[in-house]
Amino acid sequence: MALADFFISLLTFVTIYSLFGLGLNVKFGFTGLIDFGHVAYFMIGAYVTVFVAMPAGLSETYEGLTGLGLATAFAGVPGGDLLGWLVALVVGMAAAALVSLLVGIPTIRLREDYLAITALGIATILNAVFHNERWLFNGAFGIREVHEPLSGVFPIGTGSFQLNLLLFGLPSVAILGYAAYRTAKVVRPLGVRPALLGTGATLALAGSVVFVITTMTGLVVDLGVLALNVDNTIAFVLLVGSVVAGRAALTETDHIGALLALASALLFTLWYLGQPLVALVADGETADLLLNLFWLYDATAGSAGGLDYDRFFFLFTLAFLVGAYLWVERTVNSPYGRVLRAVREDESVPEALGKPTFRYKIQSLMFGSALAGAAGGLWAANIGFIDPTQFASTVTFFAYTAVIIGGTANNRGVVLGTAVFWVINSGTRFLDDFFPSEYAQQLAALRLILIGALLIVILYYRPEGMLGEQDYDINLGRGGASDD
Amino acid sequence: MASAGLLDALLQGLITGMIIAAGALGLSLIYSIAEVPNFAHGDMITIGAYLALALNKPGAIPFVPEFGGLPLIAAGVLGVAVAGSTGAIYEVAIFRRFRSKGADLITMVIVSLGLALVLRNVVLFLVGSGNINYDTERVTNTNVELYLTGNGLSVQTVQRQAGDLVTLGEWGYGWLSLLAIVVVAAAVGVGVYRWRSDDASFETVHLVSPRVFGVASGIVALAALATVLQGAPHTIDAAVWSTSVGVSIKYGVIIGLTLVTMLAMNLLLKGTKTGRAMRATADNMALAEIRGVNINRVQLVVWVLAALLTALAGVLTGWFASNLNPNMGFSLLLPIFAAVIMGGITSPYGAVLASLIIGVSMDVGVFLLPAEFATYRTAIAFVILIGVLLVKPEGLWGDV
Amino acid sequence: MTEIHNPILDVQGLEKHFGGITAIGGLDMRVGEGITGLIGPNGAGKTTFFNCVTGALTPDAGRVEFADGDITGKRPSAVAQEGLVRTFQIPRELPEMTVRENLQLAPRGQSGERLTQAWLRGDEFATDEVRVREKATEMAEFLEIDHVLDAKAGTLSGGQRKLLELARVLLTEPDMILLDEPLAGVNPTLEQKILDRIHDLESQGYSFLFIEHDIDVIMETCERVVVMHQGQVLTSGEPADVKSDDRVIEAYLGEEV
Repeated sequence: MALADFFISLLTFVTIYSLFGLGLNVKFGFTGLIDFGHVAYFMIGAYVTVFVAMPAGLSETYEGLTGLGLATAFAGVPGGDLLGWLVALVVGMAAAALVSLLVGIPTIRLREDYLAITALGIATILNAVFHNERWLFNGAFGIREVHEPLSGVFPIGTGSFQLNLLLFGLPSVAILGYAAYRTAKVVRPLGVRPALLGTGATLALAGSVVFVITTMTGLVVDLGVLALNVDNTIAFVLLVGSVVAGRAALTETDHIGALLALASALLFTLWYLGQPLVALVADGETADLLLNLFWLYDATAGSAGGLDYDRFFFLFTLAFLVGAYLWVERTVNSPYGRVLRAVREDESVPEALGKPTFRYKIQSLMFGSALAGAAGGLWAANIGFIDPTQFASTVTFFAYTAVIIGGTANNRGVVLGTAVFWVINSGTRFLDDFFPSEYAQQLAALRLILIGALLIVILYYRPEGMLGEQDYDINLGRGGASDD
Repeated sequence: MASAGLLDALLQGLITGMIIAAGALGLSLIYSIAEVPNFAHGDMITIGAYLALALNKPGAIPFVPEFGGLPLIAAGVLGVAVAGSTGAIYEVAIFRRFRSKGADLITMVIVSLGLALVLRNVVLFLVGSGNINYDTERVTNTNVELYLTGNGLSVQTVQRQAGDLVTLGEWGYGWLSLLAIVVVAAAVGVGVYRWRSDDASFETVHLVSPRVFGVASGIVALAALATVLQGAPHTIDAAVWSTSVGVSIKYGVIIGLTLVTMLAMNLLLKGTKTGRAMRATADNMALAEIRGVNINRVQLVVWVLAALLTALAGVLTGWFASNLNPNMGFSLLLPIFAAVIMGGITSPYGAVLASLIIGVSMDVGVFLLPAEFATYRTAIAFVILIGVLLVKPEGLWGDV
Repeated sequence: MTEIHNPILDVQGLEKHFGGITAIGGLDMRVGEGITGLIGPNGAGKTTFFNCVTGALTPDAGRVEFADGDITGKRPSAVAQEGLVRTFQIPRELPEMTVRENLQLAPRGQSGERLTQAWLRGDEFATDEVRVREKATEMAEFLEIDHVLDAKAGTLSGGQRKLLELARVLLTEPDMILLDEPLAGVNPTLEQKILDRIHDLESQGYSFLFIEHDIDVIMETCERVVVMHQGQVLTSGEPADVKSDDRVIEAYLGEEV
């Protein structure tokens, strides 16, 4: 898989989980509800969307309820399968909201810790039901007949190679450029000396890692790597240099966030463009570099290249994320959102001031669950296969970790935290290549140990997360006119 | 030959309840005194079970040097002791720090969740996800078969040995002796209850409540009389009703160990200075501190005790089911929480009683429901919890 | 006992038990317009009475009428919607929200507080919000906490919290306010300020029921006093009469033994 393809799939992942996290943020961040059963709504959204869209009799191995076939119901209309799928998604969101209503009515009055355990229990039981009841949605065998909206249309392209490159390549570069510009704005207050020190530290660290990796024979760690030799000495010196420079940078500036942004931008650039640049310099090879820069353009799609389905689907999910982001922003930046936050701070206060807090909590639960349901529908279409094991309770806990890393009650923080979480979780997967394959499970466990520890450390040292709680601003407009 | 029935399910449920109780006792301590709704409790159970495994079967864990292994009893005792020190680590390294920052309940919930993630994956990292069991003697179940005939009750004990059913013993009771056994046992129970509650003035703090005393003496009397009054067996061909109850030495050990542990906890809480300090802290931490209770010491004791109790539950579960896996504790977490909330989080005795109720309903429920519902064993515990919370949001023996 | 012929708040036969303990046992109370004091020794059940009336607790028996409507057992929000609000003895500021947000939360009937309005009718609630903002600022000026409007409420001093608590209930524009020890732990200057404001508001038509321990304050402030003892109304009437009532003195002295 080309690096750009991996990049796209990681981005899609982050986008879908960000949407899931936004839903959690509505419940947990803005309303203070600890719903440890959030994944249940993700699961319901995924299953119901698939079920509503799925035509009957697609497969002999499927023994669940017969699908409603909405994906083919509008076949006469252009883009009819998308329309059918969108309706299915809305039904999936509504189903998630409805189930959360049923769960919420008895449980939402409970103390926060009782709510947490009851929600976890209900999610666990629901998962067991989906797992055991084959008549429902094929039980543990899962559903393979997942409709992927518009998948027949792609890849698309103009037929002209140059035009395609321009059409898809230019936006790709523009987006990378814009990202670089935003990063530069964040990094700017750092000043020259700390910035140089930070750069030095990051490069030294990367160099150290590269030295260790390249000296490994057969991509397998063996004890020889740990022996004293020239390469290891260089790697060690670089590592020490990195720590020294990093410490110096930290003592010279208070802008830790800017320093982190600088380091991550550098690491990303090294990871994403480093290898192609080496190829360019060494062999005059430009293909890799271009592919990575023009990441929205897929050279292998069609005769003249174009936009393939994976790339389209990333943009598609991104559109949903942006829509959900604006929707949640609109909700919290309103008198309604103010009541939600008051409920979070001390429920008795809004209640004593005449706000029916029960209704607010139920609505928040349903809204958050509907967003989780939307994420579920997208998840199913992205993966193309669902089964109950994809919806274990750990998914909920990952979302809590992501939200807390980024900043509870901060919608941008949710996206940032989700990105950081999945970069740690998936981005470190390339390290697996350097260990014998029988250690894959150990490495997965190690990652989760790190994530659990990170959660505790963040809660202790920086409970507000990377970005802290967001600011609120109710748009007063001029003479009242306001819209997004 | 009789088949298993309700009585068998009841006994099974009692054992399940006893195991849940060992976990619930620890959780209720942490919950009420340390004020942490501990989501890592299930994984603490797993850790306890695997610590004993590391000593019992060191070859099973790659990072432990092979030294032959200890017998399960020694490994269990040592493992539980080591687990106690991990409780101290959780408290000192994590929860004390958060407490001193005045962390709220939500934060504590999520911190314990982080700890749960770490603990479970430490097990996965070191041992892997496979099923494994302790290296110990196989225990053979004995079936106690009860036959009700025209002449009274007849009992057969049957064991499967090398594929064949072997009848170990056979005896019976006439109607008269049956009646005598039941009446005398009930009389002993009621009598002891009366005797224990007689001297009760308002200030008396009973180490063991009269009710528990009464029930216990009744059961002892029942067992004693049943042994003494054994008579000749009746012909069982004409049995009107028969049932079979599986028992094994495991049952006795689990019931005995859990009861002894509860008694020890009871003595500790009611009879010692530390216990009084613990109860004062549960009541009102700030007030207890003003009155000179060393909160950090109390909390350390609580976490160590809870870790000991969870480890005991873990070893018992692993031994009882002849199976250890990294999810064993997590699957107990829901019933344990259900028991603690149902019993009212400030009442360890309520938690024990609720554990038994939940254990029995899980196994009896599975017995009564059609076979395809067997996979929803845990769900039954949960439905009961939700039902209780709907009626009494503060728990059955709520903290009024 | 003086009769109130035209009560706003009318409580009959109110009972509340906790386990075996009777907190309120068959209490009758009528509260009219103006400022009414509610006194009684510790444990007399005053705060429990507030909780039962405003719906924070469900009474075991009895009937609570407010402005001729039955509010027995209604949720606190429904009671507040009827125009009966209360302050808390220990102020409950919303610490992570600014003072301004704490205040803007309070006004009743804001259109943007409904989910559909918040989603669909931005223009409408924006007009509303301008009005709410002005009212909040006015109230902050009236109670002299306008200099901390943009501070997080969690950073306020004890006295400022008391004022914020009062400002919030006033912004709901109620008919009657139950004040649970608004002067406890307040310095004398601030105490006078709060009392002055209460008098100002009374002249604007607000009614108050006012828990206070300091008999002298009650004498100066209230037109009428109700004395509670052991979950029941011991007596009520003009402050001067009540002060000289033997039963009242006994109730208070009894406590000190």
